[in-house]
Amino acid sequence: MLLLQIDSVADALNSSEWVFPITECFHIAAFAWSIGLIAAVDYRLLGFGIQHSKPSQVLRDTAPWTLLGLAVVLLSGPVLFLSDVRMYLHNPSFVFKMYALAAAILFNYTIHRKVAQSDSSSTVVRAVVAVVSLALWISVVFGGLFIAFA
Amino acid sequence: MILELFRWLQSLSFMTFIRESGLEYPIVMSTHLACIAMFGGLIVITDLRLLGWAFQDKPIADIVNGLRWWKRVGFVIMFAMGFTLFGSKASEYYPNPYFWVKMFCLLLVLIHAIVFRPSVYNHPEQLDASPVIPTRAKLAGALSLILWTAVLCNGRLIGYYEPPQQRGRVVSVGSASK
Repeated sequence: MLLLQIDSVADALNSSEWVFPITECFHIAAFAWSIGLIAAVDYRLLGFGIQHSKPSQVLRDTAPWTLLGLAVVLLSGPVLFLSDVRMYLHNPSFVFKMYALAAAILFNYTIHRKVAQSDSSSTVVRAVVAVVSLALWISVVFGGLFIAFA
Repeated sequence: MILELFRWLQSLSFMTFIRESGLEYPIVMSTHLACIAMFGGLIVITDLRLLGWAFQDKPIADIVNGLRWWKRVGFVIMFAMGFTLFGSKASEYYPNPYFWVKMFCLLLVLIHAIVFRPSVYNHPEQLDASPVIPTRAKLAGALSLILWTAVLCNGRLIGYYEPPQQRGRVVSVGSASK
């Protein structure tokens, strides 16, 4: 029953050859937007970029825009997924991407946020957190692209 | 003439290596995409600041000057990866309309830089001295957002083009995921 419903959703999404590419453009533009803003916080944690602002200020200024971008990413992503559920579930890159994404979001709103908010964190802690954050998000992007090559 | 140049580029040993490689091609493509994520956001921040939509309490000069070199580094890596992707399959890109639209948008980005650099990007202190953000700065920010979005969308659509004689066969450029 569920599978039948999934198929009908997929049929609707695949009825036009433009739904998938346009959704994909939204997905890519929104992840560039949101990950880029997170990266700006990371660059600041590493001591570069907008140096006249504290990390907490960079975080505060970017956070609402980051959330907006992530919202578009997390709305467009499932549309892409629903167009061919079986393919995605059997695709190892997709599975990897989902784990990386869960880890990246969790890290971003817990440890990353805490360290960026506290302007008294040590340089080492800041650097480690920034590198982990960048590595997690890059993994998500690589995982996403490799879906097409798996 | 252009097609011959493209064929010659594609025949270079490095380009042939990338085209015939296993993992190298998608790695170059992932790096291209990861650069968009790592550095595209810096363009977004600059543009949002110029528009007055974010970072209002920070001087424009801090944002523009602080991010300038990062954007340049990102652009160089992104361009190198993009050129490798194009060069390895240049003759397939030749008939692709989205490729040419993307190139045209990049040309507009270049013109945008030439037009707005003297009055906006090279003198952000003057923008901060103004009581309201000058229209030219807002225009520069808005156009930059629009142009880069167009570059991105057309870049993705390159992978969806099928030349007429190959309709129904698997797309090879960019390899769409369905």
